Amino acid sequence: MSNNDTQRTVTVRIQRFNPDVDKKPHMQDYQVKMWPGMTILDALHEIKTHQDGSVTYRRSCRHGICGSCAMHINGRNTLACKTPIINEVKKNNTVTIGPLPYLPVIKDMVVDRTSFWEQYLRVKPWLIPPDDIPEREFRMSQEEVDALHDAEACIMCGACYSSCAVIGLNKKYLGPHALLKAFLRVLDPRDTAPGERLEIVSQADGVARCHTIFNCIDACPKGLNPTQAIETLRKLAQKRQKYEEAKAERQKHLNEPIPS
Amino acid sequence: MQNSDVITHDVIVVGAGLAGTWAAMTAAENGVKDVAVLSKIHPLRSHSGAAQGGIAAVLNNVRPVAGTGPRGPLEQIPPGDDPVDSFDLHMFDTIKGSDWLGDQDAIEIMVKDAPDVVIQYEHMGCVFSRTKDGRINQRRFGGHSAPRANFSADRTGHVLLHTIHEQALFHNVHFYAEWYVMDLIIEENIVRGVVAINVLTGDIKMLRAKAVMFGTGGYGQAYKVTSNAYANTGDGVALAYNAGAPLMDMEFVQFHPTGLYRHGFLMTEACRGEGGYLINKLGERFMEKYAPDKMELAPRDLVSRSEQIEINEGRGVMEDGQGIFLDMRHLGREKILERLPEVRDLAIAFAHVDPIEEPVPIQPTAHYSMGGIPTTVDGEVLANANGDLITGFYAAGEVSCVSVHGANRLGTNSLLEASVFGRRAGRAIAEFIKGGAKLHPVPGDPAEKNRKMVQQLFDNDGSELVEDIVQDLKMTMTNKVGIFRDEEGLKSALDDIHKLQERFKNIRVMDKSKRFNTNLSMTLEASHLLTFSELIAAGALNRQESRGAHSRTDFPKRDDENWLKHTMAHKDEDGRPKFSYKDVTLYWDRFPPQERKY
Repeated sequence: MSNNDTQRTVTVRIQRFNPDVDKKPHMQDYQVKMWPGMTILDALHEIKTHQDGSVTYRRSCRHGICGSCAMHINGRNTLACKTPIINEVKKNNTVTIGPLPYLPVIKDMVVDRTSFWEQYLRVKPWLIPPDDIPEREFRMSQEEVDALHDAEACIMCGACYSSCAVIGLNKKYLGPHALLKAFLRVLDPRDTAPGERLEIVSQADGVARCHTIFNCIDACPKGLNPTQAIETLRKLAQKRQKYEEAKAERQKHLNEPIPS
Repeated sequence: MQNSDVITHDVIVVGAGLAGTWAAMTAAENGVKDVAVLSKIHPLRSHSGAAQGGIAAVLNNVRPVAGTGPRGPLEQIPPGDDPVDSFDLHMFDTIKGSDWLGDQDAIEIMVKDAPDVVIQYEHMGCVFSRTKDGRINQRRFGGHSAPRANFSADRTGHVLLHTIHEQALFHNVHFYAEWYVMDLIIEENIVRGVVAINVLTGDIKMLRAKAVMFGTGGYGQAYKVTSNAYANTGDGVALAYNAGAPLMDMEFVQFHPTGLYRHGFLMTEACRGEGGYLINKLGERFMEKYAPDKMELAPRDLVSRSEQIEINEGRGVMEDGQGIFLDMRHLGREKILERLPEVRDLAIAFAHVDPIEEPVPIQPTAHYSMGGIPTTVDGEVLANANGDLITGFYAAGEVSCVSVHGANRLGTNSLLEASVFGRRAGRAIAEFIKGGAKLHPVPGDPAEKNRKMVQQLFDNDGSELVEDIVQDLKMTMTNKVGIFRDEEGLKSALDDIHKLQERFKNIRVMDKSKRFNTNLSMTLEASHLLTFSELIAAGALNRQESRGAHSRTDFPKRDDENWLKHTMAHKDEDGRPKFSYKDVTLYWDRFPPQERKY
């Protein structure tokens, strides 16, 4: 694309809402001159700092690891900091930005994540380790580490949660992020409470609610697959006792080298 | 002060990254029931999570394959074989990295606590990469003479942060997410509490505590190109300084050699730890000229200076010649996908370059604040160069200056420092509280004073936009207080900063609403940038030598006779900085100053 093209002025259409003064959300347009490499977050920063300081959003790291800036951009959930604006203004020279769906709006793109964090707490995200703690590290194979990848790489941005049709109907559902965290602990060879965890995810608002619509996979800015983790939990829950036994057996060897 | 609006806790921790969360969790674990953490962003958004490459500790899990040289492949150390790494070696590397400005007693404690803190992370569920026999895997890092960077792919900070946050929740630490601390109350050298704004509602409250701990992070946002998050505005150092605490060694700002070109955030040093090359416009591995032994794995200050010389002498890459290439192609697809997946993702997303196929354009980027609030090895804040303490005030992590990093920090020692000294502060706080610490009265009404200050900001309605002042400050700091410095530039920088401080009096805050007013918090942050930037420039002007990250072209040599000492900055009665100096703790028999060559 030509230099001219990357430096053109585009329209950023933002859903505005401050419940203290607005009866309902409305759209407001801002004009921004693009520069090469500009992201949606850069555009919002330009608007906030030079045009309208009341435009409000969360952000911090600028490179997709802190999880602050998940929002609804041109109809899909993603991180503003990782989205180049040039890819989003193909239609009518305009990009449309709003808050994550299904969550109460605090102000503009800032949403109330109370239910999101409540579900995270419900699965007891911390490790419940064995009583017998060795002097050195527990032994785990790289394969066991790799199996945890998607859960361990999750940044808790909420893009999946607020794309989930089930969440839209039922805030009691644990949701893909919390189930991914539960998956992390259930599969971690060091965790001693797989039975209790599988019990939690098997309750009425757990894995059974997932309709495998895959919205969470499409929404995840880290390319993770919560649906598969939920499927795994569902299967393990069905053979819970057997899995608990297998894990207890594995834990007898946590202090021993992985055989080559 | 009797006000129902006042919140009271035994312990208030400000900042929810590794240092703050370790302190809070450890205090709670050691029997303190009422621990609260305030963070201006949600705890899991803290910048500790952005650290990529690893956390240093002598674990002796891996060694270089015999006969393959310093850049050869690594293998696990078989049981019974001799270790390759030692506490003395980690200490020496850190001391040499610090250009002998690090306090060696603090360095010794950090190095000796390191294995235990890394193992504690592992026992708490942190997911580390593994060796074949299931131990924590280790890689090489700049300035370290053994592979001692314990890692989780290239998202080590992320997994550590999530792990410690989970543990703090388990121990019933109370988190105030999105509360922005705007004032620290110290009277008669005793901490009284903080004033904070609940960002959601806009309410400003006094929070009293027997102990206040700062783990608020660094100050890279004073620079134009930086790896730091938007949040890293040095709030903690500015608040402490304004409350009467000293700041130490503020002139030492680390520039990391591999910030992504134009964006500034990091391509982890692990790219070079795993074997990546730095290449100039002529295709040369130019580090041969500057550090023939360590090459790309020389310490960051040296590599950044080398890059800047290449750029200044016309051998940079990209259209403006301001870049350098980081070439990882020879590492191969498999290694890049396994060890550097996040980096690859970032390079593709932001530079449209796949490191498997093409070199990645990078440039030096303001990264780490060596200076900060001076503390003892237990996180207690010093009141002055004599070693007197401010009762009840603690600090750890990047906001603090113990000092373990001296004039230049080694990679992977920051996650370590935040964890070790956060934990030590937590223990010290628990002892302090259980030893009968009292809640001291708060004189006056600091919350009301801050409410009036905010109202004045809203009413000010001047003609200056905060962002214009911030951008001008960033240009000044980058051009005149950056990688290379000299007297003329530093004097001119101080002049610029004083003018910017004046201009700040004429600002206009655009958003005057109460609810979630980030325009207000950005304005307060800007005032912090203007406060501590003056100390960086003034400290740098005073220090007539080159040491670590502080490089004076007019004083190119280190001067131990006159400058082997810490800078201490105090705010005097009329608001200007006043400087004194503090001795460096050296073990003269074990680690006397040497010439620093790599």
